Amino acid sequence: MEDKKIIIHVENLKKNFGQLEVLKDMSIDIAEREVVVLLGPSGSGKSTFLRCLNQLEKATDGTIIIDGKNITDKQTDINKVRENIGMVFQHFNLFPHKTVIENIMLVPVELKKMTKTEAREKCMVLLKRVGMEAKADVYPSQLSGGQKQRVAIARSLAMNPDIMLFDEPTSALDPEMVGEVLAVMKELVADGMTMVVVTHEIGFAREVADRIVFMDAGYIVEQGTPEEVISHPREPRTIDFLNKVL
Amino acid sequence: MIQIIQSYGLMLLGAMGKTLELTLFSLFFAMILGMIVALLNVSKNRGLNLTGTIYVDAVRGVPLIVLAFFIYFGLPAGIKMMGIQNFRLAALQAGIIALSMNCGAYMAEIIRAGIESVDRGQLEASRSLGLNYNKSMRLVVLPQAIRTMIPSIINQFIITLKDTSILSVIGFPELTNMGKTISGNTFKSLQTWAIVGLMYMVVIITLSKIAKWVERKVNFGR
Repeated sequence: MEDKKIIIHVENLKKNFGQLEVLKDMSIDIAEREVVVLLGPSGSGKSTFLRCLNQLEKATDGTIIIDGKNITDKQTDINKVRENIGMVFQHFNLFPHKTVIENIMLVPVELKKMTKTEAREKCMVLLKRVGMEAKADVYPSQLSGGQKQRVAIARSLAMNPDIMLFDEPTSALDPEMVGEVLAVMKELVADGMTMVVVTHEIGFAREVADRIVFMDAGYIVEQGTPEEVISHPREPRTIDFLNKVL
Repeated sequence: MIQIIQSYGLMLLGAMGKTLELTLFSLFFAMILGMIVALLNVSKNRGLNLTGTIYVDAVRGVPLIVLAFFIYFGLPAGIKMMGIQNFRLAALQAGIIALSMNCGAYMAEIIRAGIESVDRGQLEASRSLGLNYNKSMRLVVLPQAIRTMIPSIINQFIITLKDTSILSVIGFPELTNMGKTISGNTFKSLQTWAIVGLMYMVVIITLSKIAKWVERKVNFGR
């Protein structure tokens, strides 16, 4: 990893919700094109950590530098940084009052990155990429969960981000729909996207992750390749967790 | 009854026009005011939040008739005490101010509830794409909030339309005031008030029909 450019640098990140300390002391460097999967029991702070990376949760303390920009600094224009970080949510969060294509076009057009015609063309390409071009003009309510999530992925790609965050992207899906979403994510991995993924899909993690980070109670307990962390975990808490989910 | 309609029909229609004029102006300003106060109330800034809450509490805490008296009689008196002579407020202006303030407070609560009914994930998704707070509100949250708000807003429109009758107390020649005049002149209370009541009813039922239609129109994509 040494020769690669560090795109996400997190140092001593802390996040409290009132009295509750969710992230106690997190430091991690993530390289360009690296795929990092966060594992851990619920309440371990994985999602909170992910949400700190685009400041949907304001860090209580510590430093986060994304592609050279310190996003924990109030002077930084967070909206500008967010254009470069796509995020996919557990519950898709598609805009129900917009059609599929409008969902994807909304932000590029609004931020004047492209004209409507250009945007439509480009967004159709994105929809093809996730296999949803046939549904361009329907409303999200007419889609299945897996389809919604694929559209949500296309939407988060519309601003050409360098980094993608996935917050349990398959947890709200019926089992038979998990595969289609994971397939789209695997394509992104193949394209060299930098990805940080919170998931419970251990098989997926083992297959695509460059690095597994196991978290518990607001700390990183252990990290390493899937081979190291999933197949040969050292920490008792990791072993305990894997025994429960595998 | 026929006789009243024959001799006073045009006057009644004119008064209905006044009622509608007062209602429409008041609703227009109340919408703007309500939107501003609602945005204050959902903001995370403590000061803005408090301002909005004080407004809603103050206005809701006072009966409309008292508010109308305060604005029509109290305000000019206050201004006179400050040394400005010849300040006059027409009954229509005072009425619009009182009704806008009153309806604005209720509208603010309707809009606030509508905004809060939109899932937090919508704002988060929009912000995560790089839209700022104001644009996210305007393009993502408010359009969804308005759908859930429409039945309550129409209901508030109807309440405000009926509340115009309270402004007969400051002498504004709206429909109820006209009813008083006519029944006083003719001594035919039953017929007069039946006609006045029916006139309100026709307008309000028409309004609710339009409301139902609008509601269906905006329900696409659900």
